[in-house]
Amino acid sequence: MRAVRLLALPALLVLLWWAVSGSSFYLPSPLRVGQAFAETWFSERLTDDVLPSVGRLLMGYAAAGLLGVGLGVPIGSSPRLRATLEPVLEFFRAIPPPVLVPLIMLLAGIDTPMKVLVIVSGCLWPILLNTVEGVRALDEVLADTCRMYGVRGLARLRRLVLPGAAPQIMTGLRQALSIGIILMVISEMFASSSGLGFTIVLFQRQFQIAEMWSGILLLGLLGLGLSALFRRVERRVLSWYYGSGAARA
Amino acid sequence: MLEISALNKAYQSPGRRVEAIRSITLGVGAGELVCVVGPSGCGKTTLLRCVAGLLPASGGEVRLDGVPVTGPPPRMAVVFQEYGRSLFPWMTVRQNVELPLKEKRVPAARRRELVTGSLEAVGLADAADAHPWQLSGGMQQRVAIARAVAYEPQVLLMDEPFAAVDAQTRADLEDLILRLWRDLEVTTLFVTHDIDEAVYLGQRVIVLSSSPTEVMEDLKIDLPPGRDQLTTRSLPRFGELRGHVYRQIQRARGER
Repeated sequence: MRAVRLLALPALLVLLWWAVSGSSFYLPSPLRVGQAFAETWFSERLTDDVLPSVGRLLMGYAAAGLLGVGLGVPIGSSPRLRATLEPVLEFFRAIPPPVLVPLIMLLAGIDTPMKVLVIVSGCLWPILLNTVEGVRALDEVLADTCRMYGVRGLARLRRLVLPGAAPQIMTGLRQALSIGIILMVISEMFASSSGLGFTIVLFQRQFQIAEMWSGILLLGLLGLGLSALFRRVERRVLSWYYGSGAARA
Repeated sequence: MLEISALNKAYQSPGRRVEAIRSITLGVGAGELVCVVGPSGCGKTTLLRCVAGLLPASGGEVRLDGVPVTGPPPRMAVVFQEYGRSLFPWMTVRQNVELPLKEKRVPAARRRELVTGSLEAVGLADAADAHPWQLSGGMQQRVAIARAVAYEPQVLLMDEPFAAVDAQTRADLEDLILRLWRDLEVTTLFVTHDIDEAVYLGQRVIVLSSSPTEVMEDLKIDLPPGRDQLTTRSLPRFGELRGHVYRQIQRARGER
């Protein structure tokens, strides 16, 4: 029953697509796109384009996660640091990361470091700002409890700060994941010779329309897969949080 | 054991100074159970936070065994009013009780002993692997009490610990505290707004004035030591003492 409900709308959309396809050169039928998908992506493109793209995404995402949480904890803990930095952080967050691509290209060239850096530059802000907010809003009674019972230093970080801020940190990480996928593609559309974004642009320029569509489809599936994976991890990390929420409701 | 002398606390904000506590002097002897009552908003919690070393005093001092308290002393435990917020929701009951012991570097075998013993003492041996949010309010407060007891404190501070539980649970918890206090002979300072509770539990009751707070009366409770919800509360002397404290608090309210 659940599977039916889950798949009903996608099936309907594919049917609709089928119905309207063929009317235009730019809109090939699902079958044609499916064929192109199998031919294009189950080939050396998988190892030459897809996996390196995903690898750069994960690298940049992980770096942004470490950097964001690593900086967010001290900033969130110190009101003075926060007051000084927050306007600047908000400014940096407001800059759309794609416009940084030309700048980062000047600084880091056009290879992997540039692409990873672009991803970091976009993923960092939601993680950082959410971590700051999560650490700032730690429960005072819990903080007093830690002081009373001599829980300080690393133990405090591990037992109080990180788990207490975890719901917010996960929110930041979730936002960063979708930003990361966008930037992965964008970073490859500039001055690149491989990667998913590059390949899609290449197909478009060569009027391989079905192949281009299949690339878009692949990106959608990739995003879907990563977000499902993320949700599993989140459920696990925050099981206490969902549990207590359910108990309260 | 615990000496509070001329304690003063004022909250300073730009252009404004609010004196919460004018001057409080009181002592708690070793093994004594002293209750502090006062009209609402009289700075009971402020007093307790100063005694615990969580809040710096503006004047006067708190001494524990002759040593001035400048931060939370190592052998002091607090049970907060907000049980729901003083337990770590991401830890099980056992982990909550065990954490302070780990930080105190208590060896694992002794730790297990203390955790099991204290959970048994509060009647929660079966709930060790539950998470706090799976328990009722009264049970959560029992966990907080077990955590304090397992810590083996010299001094136990309680900040209106039963203000947020229902009346029946409250009576049970009061008797639990009396039993633990008698068994462990731990010096206890118990802050409450409930006059009945103060008279029922305390060997002495300190009545505070309204803010800026001073000690209005240091009253010895001359009720027989073996207290019981039914018999103690129906003693004529209990009624007299309660009436006396009640009048004092009414007076404190009227004065300002």
